Amino acid sequence: MIASPNQAGSRPVTVPRAWRTILSVAVLAAVTVAWAALPLSGGAAGTSVTLVVAVGCAAASVAQLLAGSGGKQTEAALGSLVRRTVDYVLTVVRGLPWAEVMVVAVLLLEVLHRPRPWHTGLLGVALLGYLLAVHHAEMRPSARALRAQLPLIATGIGLSAIIVGIAELRAVPGGALSPAIRVIAAIAAVIAVGLVIPWWLRRHR
Amino acid sequence: MIGAAFGPEKKATETRQVPVRWRLSAHAGRLLTLTVAALALALLTRRPELAGVAAPAALLLSTLPARRPTRVTVQVRPLDSGSVEGVASVLQVDLGGQGDYEAELQIEPGDAIMPGPPVVIPAPAPAPAEVVLPFTAQRWGRRQIGMLAITLRDDYGLAEGGIRLGLPWIDCQPVPGRLNRTILLSRLPSRLGEHPARATGEGAEFAGVREFVPGDRQRRINWPATTRRGTIHLSTFADERTQAVVVVADATADVGEPGSSSLDLVLRGATGVMSRYLTKRDRVGLVMYASRLSWVAPGQGGRHFRRLLDVLMSSPGGLDKAGGLIRLPRAALPPGALIVVFSPLLDSSLVEAVRDVRERGFSVVIVDVLNSEPGDDSTKVSELTRRIWRLEQQAIRFAMVQLGVPVVHWDGRSSLDDPLGAYTRRVMVVGR
Repeated sequence: MIASPNQAGSRPVTVPRAWRTILSVAVLAAVTVAWAALPLSGGAAGTSVTLVVAVGCAAASVAQLLAGSGGKQTEAALGSLVRRTVDYVLTVVRGLPWAEVMVVAVLLLEVLHRPRPWHTGLLGVALLGYLLAVHHAEMRPSARALRAQLPLIATGIGLSAIIVGIAELRAVPGGALSPAIRVIAAIAAVIAVGLVIPWWLRRHR
Repeated sequence: MIGAAFGPEKKATETRQVPVRWRLSAHAGRLLTLTVAALALALLTRRPELAGVAAPAALLLSTLPARRPTRVTVQVRPLDSGSVEGVASVLQVDLGGQGDYEAELQIEPGDAIMPGPPVVIPAPAPAPAEVVLPFTAQRWGRRQIGMLAITLRDDYGLAEGGIRLGLPWIDCQPVPGRLNRTILLSRLPSRLGEHPARATGEGAEFAGVREFVPGDRQRRINWPATTRRGTIHLSTFADERTQAVVVVADATADVGEPGSSSLDLVLRGATGVMSRYLTKRDRVGLVMYASRLSWVAPGQGGRHFRRLLDVLMSSPGGLDKAGGLIRLPRAALPPGALIVVFSPLLDSSLVEAVRDVRERGFSVVIVDVLNSEPGDDSTKVSELTRRIWRLEQQAIRFAMVQLGVPVVHWDGRSSLDDPLGAYTRRVMVVGR
């Protein structure tokens, strides 16, 4: 088989598709940061600073993707002084792990608020979506590869839901229903893990 | 036209076993950050829901493949026999042993090389998978294509295997200046060729009729003329001869914008003239007037053209005088040759050499490729300097014309037929 740039199948990405992916990253980043920051008045000391850091990192991570997709075209079009400045900024933007810093900042932002398990669970889902979107924008994996991960992601979210449920139950005062719910949660966790293990073993065979 | 060959680096065309260096991908790094940060915060704050945040990412990370290929086989070979500046060439890469991993191949370009887009071999691929990688050499010369970067990825994009290996060198020839018509001298040396000469001989072009003399071949008898005049008459034919052309390429100066500098124009013009005259089955030689004088005596054929290109591109350019030589070597200049000089006429020793050649009776045409002037900083001294420089240049060209050496200017963009039109339309009379 001879693959040429035109025959590379799924990979020659059209510009609108790349822009759509980056747009989805931007939206997910904004949603994640906003969700972790809400309510703005309810946070402990340092919430504002962490929020600023999270917003800055979110913007930088989107800029990183933009710089990766079209940076070289701007370099040729600008004058020498402006070009050097743009080069420096692009190097900084491209070089730092903005997405990682944003993830940590968002988790800190969540910790600075009072415990709210269901809110944290949804935040986890949003963070995972954001990271998958960044990966999609960078690498443009095939739809088949993404579909293959769906059971695993669903299981992970299920586990997360069980853990969040357990955390929520901690706050519920003890009653007649409470032990039954805990047993059901434990069984659900065992089933979820049991579903994953054969799949995991098949992948590592 | 024949292109120059790729370099002789045999290693680049052999099948090689190359080690793969594995590391976590950026995606895996981000998932790891989320997992570690969430678990650490869960422990510190005693909030189990944060551990739940880490669960999906940890599950995804657990699929990191354990068995990864440690070596792959790579073979790189050029598909084209040569390369011309500005014209796309391709490399064929055979990749084997990557298993169920997707492979992305990309050229990390060397100097003046424009790589094509990266190529992805989706998994699972046949062994070996063949890939064609395009690239374009943007300037003539011997240069390395660059490095081949191969990245192997698992289907979830968690692990990345990196491979880098050097690509072969290429001899990229200058894009030849366009030339359709050629200068033909009135007096051609007595060698069998394709140009009808004034002298009669064994050619195919009818020259005239003359009376029979003993010893003439009977098959040449012109019967209509014989019956009309009553005595035997013969048809005569023009002799067909070849022409010797020597191209003098002046590489002592390289002024002007890169890509259209005087040296670029010299090499492109010289390549165009050599290619055109060799196509017309003339004998073509080359004198490379650079910091070291080198030449190739006139010859014919594709192999000779390749030799000419080798000399043309391997000679070191620069501002060094060619050893102060003002006499071009006699061995490079066969008697009666047409000499075409490509030069910006900035080197006085070359001007003296051209004067000497003309005084030795050769027919010379100079193609002036100077298309820039000294910089101007808007001062009176600068303006005065430029005027003096222009006067000197005009004086050099005037002196050449007075010697019987036509000087034409070529800007590198138009066809060479435009400046040489006055000499290609009719036979150029040879005179002392």
